[in-house]
Amino acid sequence: MRVLIVEDEMTIAFLIEDMLIDLGHEVVAIAMRLPEALEAARRVEADLAILDVNLDGHRSFPVADILAERAIPYAFATGYGALGLEGAYRERPVLAKPFLREHLAALIAEACG
Amino acid sequence: MVDEGYPIGGGRLGQLIRDFDWAGTSIGSLAQWPQSLKSVTQMLLLSPVPIVLLWGEDGVMIYNDAYSEFAGSRHPALLGSKVREGWAEVADFNDHVMRVGLSGQTLAYRDQELALQRRGKLEPVWMNLDYSPVLDETGRPAGVIAIVVETTEKVLAQRQLRESEGRLRAFVEATSDAIYRMSPDWSDLLHLDGGTFLAHAHQSLPEWIDTYIPVEDRDRVRAAIAEAVATRQPLELEHRVRQLDGSVGWVASRAVPLTDEAGDLVEWFGAASDITEQRRTNEHLRLVINELNHRVKNTLAMVQAIAMRTFRAAPDLAVAQEQFAARLVALAQANDLLTGERWAGASLREAIDQAVRPHQHDPARCTLDGADVRISPKTALALALAMHELSTNAVKYGAWSNETGRVAIAWSVADGQLRLEWREHGGPIVVAPARRGFGSRLIERGLAGELGGTVTLYFEPEGLRCTVEAPLAAVTVE
Repeated sequence: MRVLIVEDEMTIAFLIEDMLIDLGHEVVAIAMRLPEALEAARRVEADLAILDVNLDGHRSFPVADILAERAIPYAFATGYGALGLEGAYRERPVLAKPFLREHLAALIAEACG
Repeated sequence: MVDEGYPIGGGRLGQLIRDFDWAGTSIGSLAQWPQSLKSVTQMLLLSPVPIVLLWGEDGVMIYNDAYSEFAGSRHPALLGSKVREGWAEVADFNDHVMRVGLSGQTLAYRDQELALQRRGKLEPVWMNLDYSPVLDETGRPAGVIAIVVETTEKVLAQRQLRESEGRLRAFVEATSDAIYRMSPDWSDLLHLDGGTFLAHAHQSLPEWIDTYIPVEDRDRVRAAIAEAVATRQPLELEHRVRQLDGSVGWVASRAVPLTDEAGDLVEWFGAASDITEQRRTNEHLRLVINELNHRVKNTLAMVQAIAMRTFRAAPDLAVAQEQFAARLVALAQANDLLTGERWAGASLREAIDQAVRPHQHDPARCTLDGADVRISPKTALALALAMHELSTNAVKYGAWSNETGRVAIAWSVADGQLRLEWREHGGPIVVAPARRGFGSRLIERGLAGELGGTVTLYFEPEGLRCTVEAPLAAVTVE
């Protein structure tokens, strides 16, 4: 599966990348800032996106909106847990940081299932 | 001959008057009393109102049962005495009364204060006093009749009420709270003293809800009122309120029902404290706690990431453990830098200095050159971690692995770009590594991603060089 990672903390981005590779997926892009994330969301060919909610003070919801338009499934990974989400975004799967590889696997299954 | 039958009745005083030796006074014995004196005495003895007759120039005192109670311990010695002697402490007052009365005129006093000797000391006493002349058979004033009603209790009660009202007024002025009165069903605001934050309403204001309560809280306020009115229990509610300056604030309001003797609701009396600042502080605290929780979780995720990466491909567990510990220390120090600035941003120079200094104590072997820039917390954290990786690499393989090598860190800002260079020289000859480890990945891809710029490592023979180029807007504090 081709995955887009949107995560503003480089170490965590690499952690997710490592976990995804271990799980047999391919990371097509890592975006750490909102402008890059918006650009990536418009451009990449992906089967799934994992979004951090807070990108250096900016909400990643506009990124989610673009993904939804392009019918690319997405899930959130956030230290806020489900509490950091609002409105329709609450319907999406959420991964609370920190997390284990099997949590990530379950999230992917839920997001694409 | 003494007329045994006079005066008729008249209670205890009637008896005392009949038995009294009037011959020893200036009036003379009962038998010689003129008819006018007899008639007036008989009349006052039959009256339930306290009355005293002051007869003759001396004002010899004849009074009834009701007056004897007013006279207290002076009675019965008072009977038949001269008024000036019987009431020595107010002799001047009575001299005036006698003068005016015997000249044929009346006197009237309402709540007249006189200091009378009572229970062994002078006490203020208030009375309603009405004096009228009594004419003798020749038509001339021969005495003065006085109706004496003590009003001390009423006067003191009124005084207490005034003081109590004064204290209430002082309380309303002293408190910063708003004080209000509502009609029994709250349909009318009778009065509102707005304290320091609400507009006053000195007249009835039926549209008070529209005036003071913002739309979003009106239903809640109405429901609380309905409940309080139905149960007659105090109303207690925190709600929004339109303030004097037009802004919306918060109050904690509490009102109690006031009832009359019949138990019917008369009005509600309430006080509203301004809790706007308190609500703001609580809300801020809630946000801070949420944010802190988020940061803790995020930091734990970073620790998890660093641990996974450090131990994953490590050929030697002991080395990996040391690397891991050093990375945690770098992370913790970067955090210190940020908490010192309350997460509002940090100094670029300090961020770099704090990251590299633990690895190289000799300032001559590590120079920092550039005008300081305020950078965002995230930039500081990412930069500190990257500088830590470059430093550990320099200690192991680079400029700081021998006795003389140096590192020059220089940065500048131009055309909206921050350019930073890490340049090593004087170390062993550099060969590019066959495999890129976590450190170089963190530096090249991670830092570049976080800063939204480009980061390049040059493994040049004379020393490692790392260049960072990032848009200033992305790394500085907004």
